[in-house]
Amino acid sequence: MVEIQNANPTVLDVSQLPSRSRKSATVRSGPDSKCDSILYPKRPWLSSTSSSSDEEDEYEEEPVDEQDIYDLIATISDPEHPTTLGQLSVVRLPDIHLAPPPTERLGPNSLVTVAVELTPTVNHCSLATVIGLAVRCRLEQTLPPNYRVDVTMKDGSHAQDDQVNKQLGDKERVAAALENDTLRKMLDDMLKTCSM
Amino acid sequence: MAQFKQWALQYVLSDDQSAQLEITQKAAKEIENSRASSTVVGNWAASVHQWMASANSNDDDDQMDDGDDGGSGDIISRAKGSAWLIAALHLALDFLAGTLEALDRTVLRPDQVLRLIGFFGAMFSYDHKAGITASAKALRQLYSMKSFKPDMGIKIFEDVCKIKEDFRLQTAITRLEIYELFLSLVQDPAVSSELLHKYGASCGFAVDLLQLCSNERDPRNLMIWFKIIKILLNEYSPSAEVTEELFKIYSAYFPISLRSSATPIGITADDLKNVLRGCFSAHQRVAPFAFPFLMQKLDQGDAIKAAVKVDILKTIQECIEKYENPQVSVVPYIEKIWASLKYEVRNGEVKETIDATLEVLRAIARKLDGSKTQKLDASLLKDYIDLVFRDCRDDLSNPTYTKQAGLLLMTVITASVRGYVLYNANFIETIRQNLRQPKSPSHTRDLFLLLNSILKTRIDLIKNRKDGHPDDEDQLKGETTSHLDSLFNHVYLPVWTGKVNEPGSEEKDVLKQVAQGLALLVRQRVLDQDGETSLLCPATVCSEICSLFTVTLTRGLTLSSNDNPTHATALEDEVVLALRTIVMNYTDGFTEFVGAAKAGITKRDWSNPSSYSLGALKDLLSRVVFIGCSEIPSKVKTDAPLRQPYSPLQHYITSIATLLDLFPLSPSPSTANSHILSSFHASILWFDDACEAKFKKDTLAKYSTSEKNWDGEYIGLPEDWVQQLARGDLSIDEAIGALEENEPEVYRQYLRLSLFAVRHLYRSAAERLAPWPEEALAQLAQTAALVVRSLDDKLQTSCNLAHHAFDYFDAPESTSKDPVLGLLTVGILQGLRPGAMTGLYKPQGVAERFLCNTSELGLSSRISDIRAAIGIILSNKYKGGANTGDPESSTLTRILRFWSDWIKSSVASSEVNPDTFRALNNVAMHMIAGAVARQDRAAVELISILHEAAASSHINGEIFARSVGILVQPNELLTSENHAVVKRFYKQWAYGQLAKPLYELARPSGEDNAESRARYSVMILSIVRNCPFTVYQDDLEPLIRLLVTALSNSSAGGKLSEEVAYSQAISALEILVEILANEADALKGYLREIIGGATKAYQESAPKHTLTETVKPVTRTVCRKLALQVLGVLPKTFEERYILTYVPQTQRMLALACGDPVRRVREAARLARANWTSVA
Repeated sequence: MVEIQNANPTVLDVSQLPSRSRKSATVRSGPDSKCDSILYPKRPWLSSTSSSSDEEDEYEEEPVDEQDIYDLIATISDPEHPTTLGQLSVVRLPDIHLAPPPTERLGPNSLVTVAVELTPTVNHCSLATVIGLAVRCRLEQTLPPNYRVDVTMKDGSHAQDDQVNKQLGDKERVAAALENDTLRKMLDDMLKTCSM
Repeated sequence: MAQFKQWALQYVLSDDQSAQLEITQKAAKEIENSRASSTVVGNWAASVHQWMASANSNDDDDQMDDGDDGGSGDIISRAKGSAWLIAALHLALDFLAGTLEALDRTVLRPDQVLRLIGFFGAMFSYDHKAGITASAKALRQLYSMKSFKPDMGIKIFEDVCKIKEDFRLQTAITRLEIYELFLSLVQDPAVSSELLHKYGASCGFAVDLLQLCSNERDPRNLMIWFKIIKILLNEYSPSAEVTEELFKIYSAYFPISLRSSATPIGITADDLKNVLRGCFSAHQRVAPFAFPFLMQKLDQGDAIKAAVKVDILKTIQECIEKYENPQVSVVPYIEKIWASLKYEVRNGEVKETIDATLEVLRAIARKLDGSKTQKLDASLLKDYIDLVFRDCRDDLSNPTYTKQAGLLLMTVITASVRGYVLYNANFIETIRQNLRQPKSPSHTRDLFLLLNSILKTRIDLIKNRKDGHPDDEDQLKGETTSHLDSLFNHVYLPVWTGKVNEPGSEEKDVLKQVAQGLALLVRQRVLDQDGETSLLCPATVCSEICSLFTVTLTRGLTLSSNDNPTHATALEDEVVLALRTIVMNYTDGFTEFVGAAKAGITKRDWSNPSSYSLGALKDLLSRVVFIGCSEIPSKVKTDAPLRQPYSPLQHYITSIATLLDLFPLSPSPSTANSHILSSFHASILWFDDACEAKFKKDTLAKYSTSEKNWDGEYIGLPEDWVQQLARGDLSIDEAIGALEENEPEVYRQYLRLSLFAVRHLYRSAAERLAPWPEEALAQLAQTAALVVRSLDDKLQTSCNLAHHAFDYFDAPESTSKDPVLGLLTVGILQGLRPGAMTGLYKPQGVAERFLCNTSELGLSSRISDIRAAIGIILSNKYKGGANTGDPESSTLTRILRFWSDWIKSSVASSEVNPDTFRALNNVAMHMIAGAVARQDRAAVELISILHEAAASSHINGEIFARSVGILVQPNELLTSENHAVVKRFYKQWAYGQLAKPLYELARPSGEDNAESRARYSVMILSIVRNCPFTVYQDDLEPLIRLLVTALSNSSAGGKLSEEVAYSQAISALEILVEILANEADALKGYLREIIGGATKAYQESAPKHTLTETVKPVTRTVCRKLALQVLGVLPKTFEERYILTYVPQTQRMLALACGDPVRRVREAARLARANWTSVA
């Protein structure tokens, strides 16, 4: 058994993590709200053609933004603990940057850079590279080809952030690392908890 | 003789059980035929000597002295080894036992039975011990003989016990046989009295038994062994020494468990636990051993598991409950038990253990109180509760232990009425003292929790007062209540007023408890000397509590959105529940609450409300109707006469009268007006639920054969009848009869009032539509449906509801008959039963005139939907024939023919523009759908016309083809709840008639008729899409070909408009998803086309941002998502080899799709991409 790097990290509750607040108004929950679905229907009665406003909301066009990226990587499991990177604050919403920002994007083929800065739970964490690799893998598997992924350690968060950043930035070393069966298996385990 | 020997030999040599059975039956018959002559029986018994003697000689044992052929040198025996001999002897004895089993119980004489007992009993003394099983079996048979005498039982005991140590060497089955034998004997009253006579309290035979059986381990045997012990303890009055010996034996097994075995034996660990527990609780004479033993086990602390602890606790509980004479059997151990048990609750963490401990403590209190028939001396219970009180009182002031200490006290105090009456004041006083100096908000909360629990228990005690000893009721009558009277002013009110204005989250928890407590306080009753109950709190206190809660609930309306930003309504929700409880007991409270709410609402201007105000209005109204209508109020005596005389319907009347008064809040069609209608609907839903819960739905059907004509009555009533009833201007009792809360008539009178209110609103809407937004009309229509649905045929007919659906209850002629009022028509028609509608179908009658009307050529799509809804109901519930308005049964046929003619002429006519065609066609298709749902013959005639119409090359043709799906589309109006007539397999039927014949015509072949082929394809897909898979599963081959074509060439080479092409593509993808889920193999040959088609569908439905766009963006999005869904399922459904070729191209396409502008589509793309990545 490898020595545990940080045996007792701070873990956030899932409800505390940043999430996309639903547009729909708060749903009433009191004892008197049982028949709300009948009394305040979403779509007009007897309507055959118009789709409900909810459905149209759900299918509205919304470009990939920081929260999307966060949702993709926050659910990756930590290699040491049975919690996610989001809960451990290794991945944090303010440390995700898109360039150009979602509002200014031009066409579907314009190049977008995703910069993710990770904050290891302890600054000597030897698993930082693995975590970085997992984040990189996850994003490359789920983002379209016009997105360039750049994963780094946040400045000063890791004793050897230069080294780690260099490894994560080096395409060939990344490719070589992914050939390693043990590492591959570890990454697969970490990504298992990610939903689509 | 020779015959028996022969049979015995046959039996020994036979392997076949049925053959053996036959032999024993023959032998039994022989004995019976001889009337059991001594010679025959002797011969029969001697038939086994041949083996016995050999076995004995082989064992070098004594020979049997009376054996005639003993050791005569049987050839066979000599030839075999001794093991065989013993086995043979066993079988031979089995032959005898089998014969006894088959033998008539009355044949043998007592001396014969005794002799045979001697013979078989002797087997237990021989060294070789062969045939023990058979002998035991034989002895059991002999026991059941008629001539069996009790003293023979003693002989059996003595004989069998001679086996001594060899008993444990027997197989488990053999032992089982012996245990069964013992059990039959000890539970036989005759044998037991003989045993008692002979051995007395010393129970010598029992001691022998103990020596014999003390090492038993087989679960099946233990089950019986424990039963025997229980009987010994219970019925044989063993001396203390013997009891202790017995106790030692069975207590050694405690706590018992069962190793899981591969071969189940039908006994669970719980069975064993229960039967062993039965030994502990068998008789109070075990008490001196049982309690110390169990306590010692329990005090092992953490060394024992929770399950074991629960087992111990349950055993203690059962002992306490079963032992008689508690002064001697239980009282001496109480202190010890309490000392051990209190920590289980005080410091316990496992819920099961805590619960079991409390059960023990409760059992003690109940035992000390006495039984239903006999009360014990009060000092016993007092001493016990004092003991608990002494230990727990101080803990109440320690927040860590408050809950636990309270729980312990509650348990012992409320276990009996006597305990409660003696101690509740004391307990409540202790809580009050602590509440004066709480250590923290959570401490306050826990103390209130305890206070509330005791109030709750009081309610139960009073409710169940008749179940216990008659003294209990007298005690409750004599209870002093001064400590309860002051609770409101001294305990609840100060905390409520102190915290309610600025509550933090912890304070809210306290307030929630206070709210619950106040509700419980109002529910308290006092028992009068005449046995009647009345409210404990004076009306003034009840009223004050109501006004406290009213302030909380109406506050939202007076604040602004900035002052009331929280969405957390937990406290309000608790108050809502509490207030409901209160007004169901103190009925005047509801009028007060509603009055305040109404004043708050009318004070405001609703002409242009903010969304916050609308939300507050919605909340308040919703709470008002929930509080008043979700239960039926109870009739309770109060100290002062009530302002409003009791009626089970009074709150309901007040609620709807208030809503009718409030409507309209705004003269223009405002959402505020809709909220009132929604609340009106809610009040009916809630009250309907309450009635259904109380009286059950079928009550109504059982007795509602009333001939009354409500419609006629209504005409004579004032327009504000309900409001007058609510105000008290008219007496409710006179208007609806003096009803008690349990009378089912409440249910019907509620419907009568509701229908009146509905009628009033219908008329008002028809007269002046100005304040009615469309959603309010829809809401009212659904309310009408709800009320009408519950009425039976006769009432629906006598109220003339079918016609009122069209004349809105004889509404005064309005300036404009807005077609949107059709919604109200749908409301009533929806709830009608077919039998009540026949009047509409007279030739040239209401239905025909309404339905055969294409005059409104400028129909909007909304009006078209409303007319379609009316059409589908009218055609679905059509009933013609004798005794109906349409004796010839021709009206529906005529109507359908009218519409088929219309379709035929307009589908290809350029005079009917597509929008008008679409609107009217919608009406036509729904009308046909109603007939299709009940498989009407008139619908069959239309099929060829429908097929023809779809083929039209005019633009209307494709509109028509696409709409055919309506015929099988699910429709909320066609449900059994709405009394619709829906045949179970109508979709199969419709598919077979409409879609199936078209496959051939739709098949792609050259350029001929490309247009009609394209439209047939649209028509088929539009039907199939609305059918379950089983309907079309036999036609997958042609269907899939059609799907592939639809995907690869969705616009059919420009023969279809873009809109229809999309709708077709979506249908095709939806059907593909269905097929993939149900019978994917059928698609194996078409994977290339499907992957290509789905990819194309995705790419072609990319979002467009042009102004000339005819297709809605959401349609494109749905199409893209479905395409990705289909693609995503493929790798999970088919083996790799089938899809390997398409991996690179699909992965590339899916990678791009991950950047789709719509989030939901991106999700589908990622899922699909992950599935395709896993293909190596």
